[in-house]
Amino acid sequence: MKRLALGAGIAALAALPLVTASNYLIGITISGLLYTVAAAALNLVYGYAGLLSFAQLAFWGIGGYGAALTVMSLGGSFWSGLIVAGLVPAILGIVIGLPTLRTKRHAFVIVTLTFSLLTDLVVRNWVDLTHGPLGIPGLPVPTLLGFDFGTPARFYYIVLGFTALALAFLYVFGTSRIGHILKAIKQNEVLAQSQGIAPLPYKLAAFVIGAAVTGIAGGVFVFYLKIVDPTILDFYYMQTFLIVVIIGGAGSFWGVVGVGLVMVALPEALRFSDDLRMVIYGAILVVAMLAMPQGIAGWFEQRRVSALRAALK
Amino acid sequence: MTALLEVSGLAKAFSGVHAVDGVSFAIEAGTITGLIGPNGSGKSTMIDCISGFLQSDAGSVRLSGTDISALAPQEIAHFGLVRTFQSVRAYDHFSLLDNLLVVAAPFAEVTWLDAFLRSPKYRAVRRRVEERARDLIAFVGLAGHIEAPAAILSYGQKKLLALAAALMSRPKLIVLDEPVAGVNPSRINGIADILRRANADGTSFLIVEHNVDFISSLCDHVIVFDQGRKLAEGPPQEIHRDPRVLDAYLGIGESTPARLPVMS
Repeated sequence: MKRLALGAGIAALAALPLVTASNYLIGITISGLLYTVAAAALNLVYGYAGLLSFAQLAFWGIGGYGAALTVMSLGGSFWSGLIVAGLVPAILGIVIGLPTLRTKRHAFVIVTLTFSLLTDLVVRNWVDLTHGPLGIPGLPVPTLLGFDFGTPARFYYIVLGFTALALAFLYVFGTSRIGHILKAIKQNEVLAQSQGIAPLPYKLAAFVIGAAVTGIAGGVFVFYLKIVDPTILDFYYMQTFLIVVIIGGAGSFWGVVGVGLVMVALPEALRFSDDLRMVIYGAILVVAMLAMPQGIAGWFEQRRVSALRAALK
Repeated sequence: MTALLEVSGLAKAFSGVHAVDGVSFAIEAGTITGLIGPNGSGKSTMIDCISGFLQSDAGSVRLSGTDISALAPQEIAHFGLVRTFQSVRAYDHFSLLDNLLVVAAPFAEVTWLDAFLRSPKYRAVRRRVEERARDLIAFVGLAGHIEAPAAILSYGQKKLLALAAALMSRPKLIVLDEPVAGVNPSRINGIADILRRANADGTSFLIVEHNVDFISSLCDHVIVFDQGRKLAEGPPQEIHRDPRVLDAYLGIGESTPARLPVMS
């Protein structure tokens, strides 16, 4: 059943440019896929490891600038730009993670939030490097062995390929023993320690992998926009990633991926009423949170536990 | 021959209050040792220090001759000293089987890459470990719930799960913090029986408990704490008659009967 749904989903996504010529529709699917990847990365950090990281926004933006600068200032290719977009956030993840992951959870939240705000400040003011508020326009079309990805439909397949790779990696990592231990640490860190587990390396791994994946997603995203400017660090992105994780159910891979794809389509589907669009969107979020505080996946788990408890009586 | 656990001159103070005040004792391999004392006598602080969750101010803890007093809890667990907790801890969202599969020691030879790629080596270890986990869950009598999340277990059943998890790594010494406190009395004999059988298989125990009957029936040796110091130690029968112990517990020993009973 799961496999069937997965196969149908992939087939539908792969066929999208064949059934529609609408660049608008392809465009929102591109954003939707990349937001879903970033949300799945945040899910590893927050949903698995229990670390509410607001640094994801900075990694997303740094990935964008890293890829753009590699191409525009260093003359590298789009592909080498993506490597930089993953590598720089990963290194920053180690630098921030090592000292802060030892602290209490709320200290971690504050440090990561500050990091994102500082990144925004640096990007706006280091004009020599980033061109400040003007940003870096005119990002070139990616090419591979002479083939250019110049149309949105062609670029869409880069995004789809990256999404499939990134999600597969996060899935394999999350379902491995390492993911199992991350979830154990989140549920009861003291118990995990008493069972011989050092929490720091696991948390750091989740944080660094989350940083790298988010950075590459940001790198791909700016090449779709063809420009990177400080709006890449708009809090809108962080809020989107977080909403997807919370509604999908923190810690549930399929919950987050499923909701990621739906949530991005939702504001577009509500376009029938331009004035009320965001109001209805907000109302749906509020109702979802009231009805399912643990997200959709958490709601299903709670029902299962209740049924088992009832069976014991 | 060195003792399995050797505590000497251990001290821990919290802002001037001497919770543990220079305590020494030893535990021989293969024994079950009881640690009793009134509330606030320093028992919990003692085992937090032994297991690395608190850093002691002075003194040393040696496990099979190795000084473990400066090590982190996870390192001490790898040396073969495992503890459980008074307020029972379990991974509520995990099945009982998954609860036991968290324990690190059985996977010591598996690298992260092995675990990520599910290499043949990882799968072989995992098969072995899962088999042991199933055996242990059956051993503590929870086989009927093995795939169910730990959240559905009763308080007493969670204590049994914690015991099974502690046995996973085949430790030399298990420190149990109140294994029968708050447990349905009808289950207590069952728990004592499980501990005896585990002990017969070679695991030593240090048990902190208020239930004196439970301690007396189970332990080879009993240590009594009062006000951060060791008050007495010896076989349970002797401890029962020790006037200092009666005084600490009930205020009916040889000194003035001025103190209120503080046994919970």
